Amino acid sequence: MSAKVKSFEDIRNIPKDELRYKGRGQQILIYLGKLFRMFVFQSDWKVLPMAAVIAGLVCYVVGANLFKNMEGTLLGTFAMSCICIWNGFFNSIQVICRERAIIKREHRAGMHISSYIAAHMIYQAFLCLGQTVVTLSVCRLMKVAFPTNSLVTGSAMLDMAITIFLTTYASDMMSLMTSAIVRSTTTAMTVMPFLMIFQLVFSGGFFSLEGTAQKITNLTVAKWGLTAFCAQGNYNDLPMVSLWKTMNQMKNVEYEGMYPVKTAMDLIEQSGGQEQLMLECAKYNQNPKYESSMDNVLNCWLRLILFIVLFACIAVGFLEYIDKDKR
Amino acid sequence: MGEVTVQVAGPGSIGEFIVNHISDFVVYMMFSAGMFFMLQKAKVKKPWRAFVPVVRFLCLGKLIRREKDCRVYLWLTLLLYVIFYLTGTIDLQSLMETVNTAETTEEVLTSDARLLLFCVAGAMAVALALLIYQIRICLGICSTFKRRKRWILLMILGWPFSEFCWSLVMLIWGLKKSFVPYLPEEDTEEGAALSGAEARLLADGLTVNIKERLAKDGFHEKRLLRDIHLSIPKGHMVLLLGGSGAGKTTFLNAVTGYEPADAKIMLGGKDIYKEYELMKYDVGFVPQQDLMRGNDTVLRTLSDAAAMRLPDNMNARARKKRVQHVLESFGLSMLQDTLVDKLSGGQRKRLSIAMEFISDPSLFILDEPDSGLDGVVARGLFEKLRAIADEGKIVVVITHTPDRVIDLFDDVIVLAKDVDRTGRLAYYGPIKEAGEFFGKDSMEGILLSINQKEEGGEGRANEFVALYAQQLQAEKTENADDGKAGAAE
Repeated sequence: MSAKVKSFEDIRNIPKDELRYKGRGQQILIYLGKLFRMFVFQSDWKVLPMAAVIAGLVCYVVGANLFKNMEGTLLGTFAMSCICIWNGFFNSIQVICRERAIIKREHRAGMHISSYIAAHMIYQAFLCLGQTVVTLSVCRLMKVAFPTNSLVTGSAMLDMAITIFLTTYASDMMSLMTSAIVRSTTTAMTVMPFLMIFQLVFSGGFFSLEGTAQKITNLTVAKWGLTAFCAQGNYNDLPMVSLWKTMNQMKNVEYEGMYPVKTAMDLIEQSGGQEQLMLECAKYNQNPKYESSMDNVLNCWLRLILFIVLFACIAVGFLEYIDKDKR
Repeated sequence: MGEVTVQVAGPGSIGEFIVNHISDFVVYMMFSAGMFFMLQKAKVKKPWRAFVPVVRFLCLGKLIRREKDCRVYLWLTLLLYVIFYLTGTIDLQSLMETVNTAETTEEVLTSDARLLLFCVAGAMAVALALLIYQIRICLGICSTFKRRKRWILLMILGWPFSEFCWSLVMLIWGLKKSFVPYLPEEDTEEGAALSGAEARLLADGLTVNIKERLAKDGFHEKRLLRDIHLSIPKGHMVLLLGGSGAGKTTFLNAVTGYEPADAKIMLGGKDIYKEYELMKYDVGFVPQQDLMRGNDTVLRTLSDAAAMRLPDNMNARARKKRVQHVLESFGLSMLQDTLVDKLSGGQRKRLSIAMEFISDPSLFILDEPDSGLDGVVARGLFEKLRAIADEGKIVVVITHTPDRVIDLFDDVIVLAKDVDRTGRLAYYGPIKEAGEFFGKDSMEGILLSINQKEEGGEGRANEFVALYAQQLQAEKTENADDGKAGAAE
């Protein structure tokens, strides 16, 4: 039973072991207050307009064919994953390492590292949510044709929002973890491009990888984000336009006085089989990993959530040793 | 494609392994033998460690004072072995068959071939880094032996395929009598005698009994502090004096329990180490830098500090009242809505002190609170600290300009590096007596006398450490005699 302290002077008269100090939950609230004040007073709010600009640029470049054909979808969803990873990384790459000395001081004064990281997790979730809303709004504004069938929640837009949020948030947590491990902002900014390139190269979709390299893709946030996007975009049932486009470029090729490609194209067009040809072509390029099913999407989400938890735990583990930091 | 052949080592006996690696073994032994003789010349204890893998490099690092370089060199070597292991998982035999039968480059580039190329690229990068670190280490060796740097060219000859030349140079330097390591004097001398005294326990004050404080750096252990015993009564403002590297901050970290030493620290009759979770709220430590978030207001910074440091069972009104009281007493009331980033140096320092003062700690420690402040502001700050001490607190302050405020202090603790480069107590007592003890009339004069000669000082630290230890020993004997006489009566 702890004693009530009505005035400051009472502290001196109460035995020390009867005094209770702020627990983990209450400390989270204190740090959340600090972080939200930082959102207003510092430049943290700028991540939202920045997300809008990046989403706008990507939609302008790859938005036209996104979720319309296989090639456009793979390229577009890869770009979407890049947006999420970029946003996530920039949200938190410096947040811990830039105030390491302050954290050390506060840790010695009774701050719990788990509370500090938990506050950051909540705050970063807020930022990622804001970025998700901004990104989706920009995509809608730029007339990106989003899928209409929902696989999980009943709303295709909500499914898409969850994937964008989880991909951004998992990247954000990876960058928070990096920020907790490194000791200076310079190191953090040096490490970040390597992490980013690793994520993009090992996303497992855009670059063909085999053997060990293929297994490594399971460790990247990009792979599960990209897979979820493709599954939601019904990738395997979309037409493939590469063959038709190539035929179109070759239609004036002459062979023994005839134009066989042009003749074939005319024949297909007359019989109305152009769409069917594209779908037939797509059948040979389907990827079972992008199967459009609820299980597949849920599996991707689950993996992203596991990444989030794992990165946060590693961040806490490393930061617990902050007292060992040299001057 | 051209015919390519490769020899793949199959499993064999240990004898076969030794025969295959005989050249590696010879190089290893040459290097180790050379190092063994070098360590013997340097009178390092346990020179046989030169033959122990990994440890030998740590010993070399210590000898040439490049511990970090040697550690990184070891990590890079380990990384190189990992890459070699990865390469070993590739089926080279079938890969070579593919290379020999393939007609196009695409057929050659199987996943194994790509992994092999990746390993080769990685090994090249690590080998390059190893070369840089080898040069750094060799520079250290040349500097320790006071030899020309051109030796490095010979040492790195054979990189990255063999360390033969390096090992040969090590062996020659080890064997040749004229190649002697030049080490600073203190590494071979003994430290000053110990006082053997224990500080008297004060019921209300701070009692410090530090036997030693060791720091581990890899396998290397360094003694940072030794034999510091003192008692500070409450209401005293104490100056902590010492040259750079004398262990002032280490001493304070040991006293506050942040970095425990082999010691017993008692504050108000309670053991700080044993009851750290409770006692940490009774110790205020103001660091040298103003470690606060610049984007928060003064009021919010202090309110959050109050929320973290004051008991949770204190009601909100009392806490708010305390925050207002501290704001007023530190002259920050008018600035409560100002962002910390907008404060002047003096104002920031006052806020930093206020953050610790908010919980009314019994022990208040400040690390150079006057750094970056002009004389008038600094004086005002120290007067405030004097007022805090007069309220019955213990205030310990490190400052590099003590003479301008010396009248405000009661006692002085003088820490000095002895010949072992260990922080030792050279004096603790009243300010006036300190002048008599050191034969100086100012704190700066005292500092000058204990500082090393290469720092521009008189280099008398060891003399004063020994003298003070003798004084404590004499007091101890006197007390023991008094005790015996009292018992006999």
